Amino acid sequence: MKEQTGPDWNALLVRVGSHQDKSAFGALFAHFAPLLKGFLLKGGGVEPEQAEELVQETMIKVWRKAPTYAPAQAAASTWMYTIARNTRIDWLRKHSKRNQQTDELVAEDLFDENEASSPFVALIQNRNAGHIKTHLKELPQEQLQVLTLMYFQGKSGQEVADELNIPLGTVKSRVRLALQKLKLKLSPTGEDRKVVYAQ
Amino acid sequence: MITNHPTTELLTEYATGAMSLAPLISITTHLQFCEHCRDAVAGLNALGGEFLGECEGTAISDRLLADTLDRLDEEPLPETIEAAPASFAIDAALEEQLPAYLHKFVGRSPLNWRSLSSSLSVAPISVGETAYELALHKIDAGGTTPSHDHRGMELTVVLKGSFSDEHGVYHEGDFLIREPGHVHRPAAAQNQACICLSVLEAPIKLQGLKRVLNPFMQFNPS
Repeated sequence: MKEQTGPDWNALLVRVGSHQDKSAFGALFAHFAPLLKGFLLKGGGVEPEQAEELVQETMIKVWRKAPTYAPAQAAASTWMYTIARNTRIDWLRKHSKRNQQTDELVAEDLFDENEASSPFVALIQNRNAGHIKTHLKELPQEQLQVLTLMYFQGKSGQEVADELNIPLGTVKSRVRLALQKLKLKLSPTGEDRKVVYAQ
Repeated sequence: MITNHPTTELLTEYATGAMSLAPLISITTHLQFCEHCRDAVAGLNALGGEFLGECEGTAISDRLLADTLDRLDEEPLPETIEAAPASFAIDAALEEQLPAYLHKFVGRSPLNWRSLSSSLSVAPISVGETAYELALHKIDAGGTTPSHDHRGMELTVVLKGSFSDEHGVYHEGDFLIREPGHVHRPAAAQNQACICLSVLEAPIKLQGLKRVLNPFMQFNPS
């Protein structure tokens, strides 16, 4: 609802990209920086000071990448989400003890956000946003819990299963049921597709 | 037509950022071919956007905006992001076969093609990750590979040509998931070599007479 009654975030983001408009950037910052910080803290594993560092990193990337933002492809909040997710991935990789990598690969190289989308992407995007807004509140608690752990904490299906002490299959089916309820597209390949073993 | 796709679970882990580099690259590669999965990911990202837009905001330091604006002045002017040039030239014939997205990974170090059998060769791609092996596999036209088992999960994206095994025929863009214990014997189509991108959780183990080759299959990701 906010997106319909408040400032037009998409337009502000376009303005940052096309005019390097700092007042538009300031307005986006005032709205999204607290949300980004809240999002990161809800995920845990990040101290409030680190969260602000990450918020700043994210917003600087927003500034740098704004010229590539296409409002027909994603709402400003969706686009911000992907930038924040990528920033968190890079931050976690940098701070991971397991990965001693010295290379310069960053998440934005991996995701290729600018890949060509389907011709109906704007339509699909509007439809998705409407369905999500309408149905997210109706999700059963157990489905919402699984999605929350995955989105806010970046946990894999297996990690969610371990944390909640439920079978991986249950996690998968909760994700699927939730996405169906939100009327989002699922993979055409069913999860329960039998793998045929030759021996 | 693409008939094999990543599962919904994999697409979700992709969109939420839970995935390691090598599997992530395999999913993005599939997305280069598959409009359906691109739309699915767009929906999953929109859900992330909704979670972000509706989450409870937390007050930020007064100075953060001013600090950030200062840092913007040090940033180069925003311009359309260009793909980093590959450090090594990719063989032109091969480059033509790969989606442009992959050039930046394949061009990071010289490709070292190694023969695994008379018609199968492999070239590891280094992305600085040790948990998975990312590689290109090439089966010559009409060639058959040794039958092999998987000790870990294997993800495969067909990049060029097609191959078949006991379970089906796979074309450009198809995304295959092979679980541990799954034995198969892929063969390329008669008319064209088949190039795949593969992600292995653990080295694969050859079955039968070719077992002697096994040690050579444990290439080291570096």
